[in-house]
Amino acid sequence: MKQNNMVAMILAGGRGSRLLDLTKKVAKPAVYFGGKYRIIDFPLSNCANSGISVVGVLTQYESVLLNSYVARDHHWGLDARDSGVFVLPPREKDKTGLGLYRGTADAITQNIDFLDQMEAEYVLILSGDHIYKMDYAKMLAHHKANNADATIAVLAVPLKEASRFGIMNTDETDRIIEFEEKPAKPKSNLASMGIYIFNYKTLRKYLTADEKDPNSEHDFGKDIIPAFLRDNKVLTAYRFKGYWKDVGTIDSLWEANMDLLNPDNELDLGDSQWKIYTEDVPTPPQFIGEEAVVENCYINQGCIVNGNVKNSVLFTNVEVGSGAQVVDSVIMPNAVIGEGAKVTRCIVADNVEISPGAVVGHKDSEHIELIAKKRVK
Amino acid sequence: MCDALGIINFEDACVDITGLMDYRPASAISFLGRYRLIDFMLSNMTNSGISQIEVFIKDKPRSLIEHLGNGRQYNINSKRGRLSILYGENRIMSEVYNHDIANFMDNIQYIEEVNKPYVIIAPSYMIYQIDFNEVLKYHAEKNSDVTVIYKSTDNAKEEFIGCDTLSMDKDKRIVAFEKNRGKYKTRNVSLEAYVMTKKLFLELVRKAANTSSLYWFKDILADSCDDLRINGYAFKGTVYCINSLRSYFKANIELRTHAKARELFKEDWPIHTRTNDSAPSQYMPEAKIRGCSIANGCHIEGNVENCVIGRNVIIKRGAVVKNSVILPGAYIGEGAKLDHVIVDKAAIVNHVKKLVGTDDSPIYVKRRDRI
Repeated sequence: MKQNNMVAMILAGGRGSRLLDLTKKVAKPAVYFGGKYRIIDFPLSNCANSGISVVGVLTQYESVLLNSYVARDHHWGLDARDSGVFVLPPREKDKTGLGLYRGTADAITQNIDFLDQMEAEYVLILSGDHIYKMDYAKMLAHHKANNADATIAVLAVPLKEASRFGIMNTDETDRIIEFEEKPAKPKSNLASMGIYIFNYKTLRKYLTADEKDPNSEHDFGKDIIPAFLRDNKVLTAYRFKGYWKDVGTIDSLWEANMDLLNPDNELDLGDSQWKIYTEDVPTPPQFIGEEAVVENCYINQGCIVNGNVKNSVLFTNVEVGSGAQVVDSVIMPNAVIGEGAKVTRCIVADNVEISPGAVVGHKDSEHIELIAKKRVK
Repeated sequence: MCDALGIINFEDACVDITGLMDYRPASAISFLGRYRLIDFMLSNMTNSGISQIEVFIKDKPRSLIEHLGNGRQYNINSKRGRLSILYGENRIMSEVYNHDIANFMDNIQYIEEVNKPYVIIAPSYMIYQIDFNEVLKYHAEKNSDVTVIYKSTDNAKEEFIGCDTLSMDKDKRIVAFEKNRGKYKTRNVSLEAYVMTKKLFLELVRKAANTSSLYWFKDILADSCDDLRINGYAFKGTVYCINSLRSYFKANIELRTHAKARELFKEDWPIHTRTNDSAPSQYMPEAKIRGCSIANGCHIEGNVENCVIGRNVIIKRGAVVKNSVILPGAYIGEGAKLDHVIVDKAAIVNHVKKLVGTDDSPIYVKRRDRI
């Protein structure tokens, strides 16, 4: 059912190069998270749960897998008559030829025809690589109540970390008066989450102007938001409370997975009122063998566990051989941990095989080790 | 591509899964934590390339209709294929007349109008993995009128009680159908899965209806041994016949180990089911789990041994659950002790009192019950 005329546009073109080999063949939004999900399941499920019908996904870097993944819109229930997930990679155009997306704003500018066609009244800009749950309908209500031209979701971060983020300085009514990208001396701790609602008509004008500006980087944070502020447009901050992670590195991806081991974690993937939907893989249930030990684990369907697994997350169809020890690790789909192998403080990528008896990772390692070679002896 | 209409038939009185069947037909009973019984036969059909399937329901349709939906999860092309749910509206109140023939007759136009030369009819309470293309090939090679899939078992005293057994000549032609009353160890048991042309099927249905208004399809088949070439097709793989609470319990408990489950779940033969979008299962630091098959969405703190645990089950601290089958959404409270128990969906076992059954008569806790 078409519930509102807000069209979501998910920016999903980034590589996330600090995730090393995990993003060698897939863009960051397609990286696995939480035992059965890919990161982009979060914004997509949030859209579905918020009653958004039309979602555009802007892909660019290594987009083959991501394009085919998100195109199967029934996984998120976005396959009703008025809804859909629309894959929007860069395309060849009449006058300009084939042009890559030059920045976050340019990706939207190049799809103005799509937004026109969808008769968007509001546009919700999302990032495809953040892990969180948010009701965008509430954010839209906030946007309307404030008669805003744009609304930016913000998260209160510890002030000493604020210089890592784009910081919004607001007045007492939460109207944004200044935006500072990674300020050395932050005046506020309200960090932009990269989630924006715009009145489409206004945004359209700014995007069209931005396209022609030779000095622009075509970026929402650097160009569009400052332009709105210069013209005294109404920008409000929408304060978000709850779990939010931008997993940029192997360490932070590991940490985010480990967060799930705490049953009281704020992300609460078990909440039946706000499910995160994903690809439906037909596998048997999980089998925990006679000699297996599973302690403080998060394990998905299809796993066969015969060894010891402690403080770890096992994705779909992982096999842990007898006598193997998996500790403080994240094992991605279809990986096999051979008999007697030891895996400590690692992320083991999907389809990797750790040979029987092999030892990877170390309990005192400073960083989490990524095991991505298909076969480790 | 398989040139047959698939028909999933409902069970007759030889299937009595006490308790569980109070709430749903056998086909909709939860199995191995994340499936319903019907998923196995439906997956056999769609994996074999059958794209038109008719599921017949005898009574209590709610649970099955909800589970099947439009059948998308079974991997059927939504334009070229179809999953239909059919039932005899007129018969639902009258138990003796509510048999498969009556339901086929009520819906005969929907069988007639399917443009497929063959039909494959099978019930959902027999769990096994079969490629029907092989059976069709055999059917053609033998130039049979009807092919009946059977399993040779040497455990007929314990299993397949009440099922049809086959007497065959050397050439696998069936000369008579009998009943397995558990007297003999070794029997050829009919899996009640039949292959024939649609034309012959419709003839037999009409003949049955004219012969007796109490006839089931298996009765007219038994009458036809002399007139038709009815041949047996030996199925060599593992079969679980779920026709009693005891056999339901036994099959679940057996399949909780990967070694056994491997015989039923083959990599290139997925068993499709409706997803519930549950999160992975959470095992707390104090949990002790051994020898279990567990579905997604569970939260386990207690001690669980040799069990089948369904989706979204919660087992609290200090609970000890052994040799039991816990259906989806059940809650086992702190300190509860269960051994040889089947806990139906969404039941809450909050107490302390020890519940102990046996292999032959597991204790059954009703759906949504509170203890």
